[in-house]
Amino acid sequence: MYRYDEFDHDFVRDRVAQFTDQVERRLKGDISEDAFKPLRLMNGVYLQLHAYMLRVAVPYGTLSSRQMRKLAHIARTYDRGYGHFTTRQNIQYNWPKLSDIPAILSELAEVEMHAIQTSGNCIRNVTADHFAGAAADEVADPRPYAEILRQWSSVHPEFSFLPRKFKIAITAAERDRAAIQVHDIGLQLKRNEAGETGFAVYVGGGQGRTPMVAKLLNPFLPEEHLLSYVTAIMRVYNLHGRRDNKYKARIKILVHETGIDNLAAQVEAEWEHLRAGELKLPDADIAAITSYFAPPELSDRAEGWAQLAAWKRTDEEFSGWVGRNVAPHRHPDYAMVTISLKPIGGIPGDASADQMDAVAALADEFGFGEIRVTHEQNLVLPHVALADLEPLWRGLKAEGLETANSGLITDIIACPGLDYCALANARSIPVAQEISNRFADARRQEEIGELKIKISGCINACGHHHVGHIGILGVEKKGAELYQITLGGSADENTSIGEIIGRGFEPERLTDAIEVIVDTYLAERTGREEPFIDCYRRVGAAPFKLALYGGSEVEAA
Amino acid sequence: MTRIWTTSGFLDNDPWDLSTDGSGEGARVLSLDEALELAAGSNEPIAVRIEPADDVTRLAPVVDRVVFVAVNFPAFSDGRAFSHASLLRDRLGYTGEIRAIGGVLLDQVPFMLRVGIDSVATSHGPTIERLAENNLPGIKLHYQPAAAESSPVAGYSWRRRSAP
Ligand code: SF4
Repeated sequence: MYRYDEFDHDFVRDRVAQFTDQVERRLKGDISEDAFKPLRLMNGVYLQLHAYMLRVAVPYGTLSSRQMRKLAHIARTYDRGYGHFTTRQNIQYNWPKLSDIPAILSELAEVEMHAIQTSGNCIRNVTADHFAGAAADEVADPRPYAEILRQWSSVHPEFSFLPRKFKIAITAAERDRAAIQVHDIGLQLKRNEAGETGFAVYVGGGQGRTPMVAKLLNPFLPEEHLLSYVTAIMRVYNLHGRRDNKYKARIKILVHETGIDNLAAQVEAEWEHLRAGELKLPDADIAAITSYFAPPELSDRAEGWAQLAAWKRTDEEFSGWVGRNVAPHRHPDYAMVTISLKPIGGIPGDASADQMDAVAALADEFGFGEIRVTHEQNLVLPHVALADLEPLWRGLKAEGLETANSGLITDIIACPGLDYCALANARSIPVAQEISNRFADARRQEEIGELKIKISGCINACGHHHVGHIGILGVEKKGAELYQITLGGSADENTSIGEIIGRGFEPERLTDAIEVIVDTYLAERTGREEPFIDCYRRVGAAPFKLALYGGSEVEAA
Repeated sequence: MTRIWTTSGFLDNDPWDLSTDGSGEGARVLSLDEALELAAGSNEPIAVRIEPADDVTRLAPVVDRVVFVAVNFPAFSDGRAFSHASLLRDRLGYTGEIRAIGGVLLDQVPFMLRVGIDSVATSHGPTIERLAENNLPGIKLHYQPAAAESSPVAGYSWRRRSAP
């Protein structure tokens, strides 16, 4: 993974000093809360319902075991002993004191971490496929480009006061695990027919109040133009994005109102002036950054095949976990392991300090010290020998991290909702917990198969409900919580926005409604080979509406 | 009271009238439309005020006659003038003064300097104090080229360092 050089260390140290000075001036009253807000946001400090929240960047979701130990230490020392992994591959601490934040940032800097641009109207942490560098289906590791973008966008003088936040995601596989089409800019690393490396550039995807699937802006941008082209997009957006209404300020609205062809022409015109300039990437620089991401030396461990087969025969539980949470690696003797942070009835994405330490230790013992955070709020060990799977599993089990539900109905994404968030209409976490408890039975989950439930506590859609196979949105009606259900959303290479199925459900009726939807699917599907999303796309909303509301077609709440 | 700070210190006799109606003292600074109109009918030097929604590249044909540009930051969160200044320097090759006006606060100043703004008008007391001490909250290391002078850094093409 990327290692800081002296420049990076000095930069982050200066950034911490800068923020410390800002906090001091705020505490002294030299900066009003109004003016302080964008400054603290630019450094990941939110004011939540009960306290400040600090969001720490995990660039493109890659962590070393040493960094994970530091995150555990911070959870223990400055928070209440846990942290929360987010859908942007970051980690949030919900209870730090404002006056402790400079100290936390200094501790993070020791392990090459920071909170720069994890919030605010600037270019946010660049996210990437969590299996990058290990997956069999990728063109190349996308993370070097994410790292180049991370560096270039850090404290950018022209693009730190954008109309709204700006999110970039990158993948290098046809099978999109980074949800690039619901990002402001989505990049798909590709090779063209001549064998050159470049990107398909998508723009204007997003969720929130007006969900939109991104449009293709450029089918093949040669890699050396990455920064000049993104600069052109950013400049057009900075100058022309709407600033009169914060709900219309994302680039998706600009794309929508301007039209993709017109916008492409503007970007192209701007880029003409930039493409030959100093932002052009030299091959040597791309190669130098790429060398940091060289995969670990994976020696052949063919003995693992037989061992694994034997373990699976003797231990059904282990076998179920392998079937669910273990995916094939580029190297046939290795695997990519998903560590579920979705225990039955638990809080999606939460990890205790002890669990973080345990994952760090297991990563050191079995996974070359490398850890990933997924946008589905789980962790991944990307390089584990088949021969090590069983002891790894036992290690996970000791910490309650062996839940075998990756991609299943209890692998729920949920935003913090009314338990923490000042903007929430409704609770998300208890809803996730109740659904998880209802479907706890492993056999039943396995029978249902792949089904993604995503829950947001308000229309800001931090829980990505628009792209859940089943999406749940908390709304407020006459002072009470109500949940609106959408069906058919998806955030992969076939991205779609879910459709509202009908009037909303009270909290106490919601889980029953989910069960009705699941039973309807089970009755309608051609067989186990037809997952929920495919079945829904084939049969449409009608049978689900009928099952939920009976004959009377009821309109959306 | 509004003070004018430039990279070489505070300015006591500001020659420019930044009122929109010419009611102040000094030479008038025109709106973009007025300035272009003046430019079409005369050879006079041009002092112009760029509002956030203006297209600053319209100045291109007359840029060698422009002697002063004010870019307006009507709100702390409105960052359009950062692009205006970048375009003035990088695209139009303008070398004269660019002044940030509106509600300038200390923490914007390092960003402003990097995109080529070289003077600011501010009435914010704590900001004026820090400017007087020349104690700006900026970072000398940069991950991207920008209009202001900076030197390349060994390593990667996109990195820069400002003079200390
Ligand atoms: S979706 Fe709404 S309630 Fe949930 S975290 Fe985002 S803003 Fe808060």
